[in-house]
Amino acid sequence: MVALSLTGLVIAAIGGLVIGPTSIGIGPVVGNVLSHLGVGHNTLSTLQSTVLWQLRAPRMVLGLLAGAMLAVAGGTYQGVFRNPLADPYLLGVAAGAGLGATIAIVDVGSGLVTPAWTPLLAFVGAMGAVIVTWLIGGRNSRSSGATLILAGVAVASLLTSAQTFLQQQSSGSIARVYIWLLGSLASASWHSVWIVVPYVAVCSMVCVAAGRALDVMSVGEDESRSLGVRVGRVRLVVIAASSLGTAAVVSAVGLIGFVGIIVPHVVRLLVGTSYRRILPISVVVGAAFLVLADTIARTVMAPSELPLGVVTALVGAPVFVLILSLRRPVAV
Amino acid sequence: MSQVELRDVTVSVGAKVLVSNVTVAIQSGTWCTIVGPNGAGKTSLVEAIAGLRRPSRGTVSIGGRVLAAMNERERARLVALVPQHPVVPSGMTVYDYVALGRVAHHGLLRAATTRDRAIVDSVLERLSLGEFRDRDVVTLSGGERQRMVLGRAFAQSTMVIVLDEPITGLDLRHQMELLELLRSEVADGGLTVVATLHDLTLAGQFADRLILLNQGELVLDGAAGDVVRSDELAHCYGMNLRVIDVDGADVVVPVRR
Repeated sequence: MVALSLTGLVIAAIGGLVIGPTSIGIGPVVGNVLSHLGVGHNTLSTLQSTVLWQLRAPRMVLGLLAGAMLAVAGGTYQGVFRNPLADPYLLGVAAGAGLGATIAIVDVGSGLVTPAWTPLLAFVGAMGAVIVTWLIGGRNSRSSGATLILAGVAVASLLTSAQTFLQQQSSGSIARVYIWLLGSLASASWHSVWIVVPYVAVCSMVCVAAGRALDVMSVGEDESRSLGVRVGRVRLVVIAASSLGTAAVVSAVGLIGFVGIIVPHVVRLLVGTSYRRILPISVVVGAAFLVLADTIARTVMAPSELPLGVVTALVGAPVFVLILSLRRPVAV
Repeated sequence: MSQVELRDVTVSVGAKVLVSNVTVAIQSGTWCTIVGPNGAGKTSLVEAIAGLRRPSRGTVSIGGRVLAAMNERERARLVALVPQHPVVPSGMTVYDYVALGRVAHHGLLRAATTRDRAIVDSVLERLSLGEFRDRDVVTLSGGERQRMVLGRAFAQSTMVIVLDEPITGLDLRHQMELLELLRSEVADGGLTVVATLHDLTLAGQFADRLILLNQGELVLDGAAGDVVRSDELAHCYGMNLRVIDVDGADVVVPVRR
């Protein structure tokens, strides 16, 4: 399963580089990479080289990072809350990011451009929402995960209604807000990749390392404590890592849905219920899946692009239903 | 030396007092059963001994060390709990479930050592769970499942095991088997057992000592035979109890007034 998912990742990554309106073959791409390393010779034109390195490569890498982080964060939330419906946006990350981005976009007035500080405001909104949720529902280590989920629901509804209000007040920018909310990798650059990399690297490693703790916590909070687990502390660390990673990703690519909830479930159906296996494999499968979805999003109706969130659901849902019907029922 | 020591333990939730001023010392290598009617505070007391509930007043110590001063991991190496309604996570194998008992020893970030695995293997062997080791936990029968939960507690390698109604839902043979198994651990392994039981006959036969709780207060504390014959016992349950001697064993039966 590990080998299979890694193979899928490599294929998706190569597909992300070679498929597109400007056709670039696999051979020339390999030749170009090798020529950068000082062996072989480059056969790509300047245009092809620019498309490859300034457009497709950063877009592909950002897709890998976003897919990996959203999938592992979703799997982690499902484990820590013992709730199959948990996704990375559970504690208000999406609503907070949405509000932050809307403030940035609407603020420009005309709404014709998405300003450069949109990711920063989205990030601040996302982290702010999670911190408020935690202060309401998670500070007390005796309170259960359910309290935290409900606090998340309350915070998310409040922020979403504020976001909707702002959006309605400024009809000129509705389209841009809407595009941002649906998520897209179109504005990917090496700059955004370098900003997101450290967050995803650290946060996804923390989530994967929490696999054993989440396995123990599958027997519930009281029993985990009697087995020697500091439930409150594990929950804080895991939620902090998932939220921080998700906020960084969301601020760069918008609200891409479905990856965080469906990838860990698909992996669970294939490899069993241990988070020590689910989480690392979700990193790989999530990365591959999002790059694949993005390749579809930017090619099927080229030159226009489908919203990435639409494609993840359109491709992901049938695959998920297929696996679900072939395997045993979901157990979390 | 007393292994489990409760000093003036009061457990309360908000303004409601569940257990008040209980002082008990339980000797190492003995079995103490807590009896009393529903709502007497048995589960709260057991949870306080297992460290899951912090007493609002008083202290619980195990092996001379105060529980409140320990972190979860240290505590889990001293006392194990068999809860009344254990969560059985579907998809987990019996081996992995029993191995959860070793987490307090190897930690959350390290894998189980060879020694940890050897201990899990020996527990599975001792509880005749070897043939189920790769089975999904939800496929076990009630008796097998309860043995498995006990196995997790054994794997914790603690000096004290606390059990809350461990035989609820088991048939007579499985009830006896489970209690005999524990009894042999007490006799041979020097284990200290604190349990709650509703069945007064079995409580009397298996425990060295009975503690009678009523409305959160300790009513009686003494040798099993004395407590089952006491007037206080019948009074706490508010009914007519008769103790019959059957081949040297006390059998407690209710009689209609």
